[in-house]
Amino acid sequence: MGIFSTYVLPSPGKVWGSFQKMLLSGEVFRDIMISMGRVFKGFAIAFVLAFLLGMIRAMIPASGVFYEYLVQFFRNVPPLSLIPLLILWCGIGETTKTVIIVLASFFPMYLNIVKGFTGCDRKLLEVGKVFGYSRLKQFVKITLPYASADILVGMRIGLGYSWRAIIGAEMVAASSGLGHMILFAQQMSRTDKVIVGILVIGLIGYGTDRIFGWAIKKLLKGSCENGWN
Amino acid sequence: MAGIELVKLEKHYVVEGKTIPVLTGINLQIPEERITVILGKSGCGKTTLLRLAGGLEDPDGGSIHYGLSQRTAFVFQEPRLMPWLDVTGNICFGLKRQEIHRDEIHSIIHTVGLDGFEKAYPSQLSGGMQQRTAIARALAYHPSFIMMDEPFAALDYFTREQMQRELLRVWKSQKASILFVTHSIDEALLLGHKIVIIEKGVVKTEFELPKAGDFRNLLDDKFIMLKREIIENLNVAV
Repeated sequence: MGIFSTYVLPSPGKVWGSFQKMLLSGEVFRDIMISMGRVFKGFAIAFVLAFLLGMIRAMIPASGVFYEYLVQFFRNVPPLSLIPLLILWCGIGETTKTVIIVLASFFPMYLNIVKGFTGCDRKLLEVGKVFGYSRLKQFVKITLPYASADILVGMRIGLGYSWRAIIGAEMVAASSGLGHMILFAQQMSRTDKVIVGILVIGLIGYGTDRIFGWAIKKLLKGSCENGWN
Repeated sequence: MAGIELVKLEKHYVVEGKTIPVLTGINLQIPEERITVILGKSGCGKTTLLRLAGGLEDPDGGSIHYGLSQRTAFVFQEPRLMPWLDVTGNICFGLKRQEIHRDEIHSIIHTVGLDGFEKAYPSQLSGGMQQRTAIARALAYHPSFIMMDEPFAALDYFTREQMQRELLRVWKSQKASILFVTHSIDEALLLGHKIVIIEKGVVKTEFELPKAGDFRNLLDDKFIMLKREIIENLNVAV
């Protein structure tokens, strides 16, 4: 139609054509796999850390004093602002990207996990006490299932944050991945490829989010609707 | 010593800096293999007494002496079911894997009238059905001591009567000791072998009833007389 320059806004046909070429050459799959690998690695580390720290905080409430201030401090620091330091300390290898994802996804998961664990209904915990449950058994059989909704919601938010962080990290400190692909396409004035990259990220994010929604629905079958399905 | 003995038991709560005494020196013998009913007006400390005897709270004074090792089950005022477990899962909640016998669980589900609801979650049950599931959870545990805090208050007349009969049946077959809190005089007369009236944080009166496990006829003269005596003790206007 000629309203916008094709450099600023390429036609849907051109974007689709570029997408098909990238599919056929396997270029887009390679970048997706690399970015996904980084996201899931960082996300898994962040989840394990958040779960363990949240569990310690719930089982030994006094322990929070030792690390809560540090957690709250770093929660307010955007991970992308740490990229210059991380590049200096860890180079532009995989470690930097993993650390950025961990920093981005840890806090929403940690806060939700702590909320889930510490918010457990005391009346239900008393039921465990009546049946002679140990503290560990009480945690496994009551606190953990009770907190599962908050844990899953935290994971869902954390995964979204991971995708945002990895794209940012790959734009600055990478030679592969979807973030790098977008930045490289911009430098080559290939706006169509930039749009393909954005659409692919959105689709993957939507797909993983749906999987989490499905998992939440399956796992929380006894609970009321939580508005996240 | 058999059963549970409460000696000069004291308990107070602090609300906004003010100390509110609830129990002020309770002396009570809760005998084994009998149904002891705690009766009193609302707020007289019945539930607190039950929670102390059940080990859910620590006393501020006095002591509690337990007899032989006890397997205690608790039925609370509210059902306290695990929302993520279905009816069967909730009934088996206190049991170890090797203690779960499917036939017995089905029989208990039948007893409490929840046939067909085995796979239902608490959010899908009415209040009365939830309370029956909680009662079934206690029965499935095979307790030697059952603590019950107004367990039938949420049930309709017919279900309440059925559950009272069932409780007597369980008592007869298992010879479990039962500590039962209620504010219903009729319920106390129907079930109790010992009725303890609590007032102002102390035991005011104790009534001993014959140890019969059958459903009592409350229209008998002796029960009408006893009811009158209890009402007078409770200072309730007739």
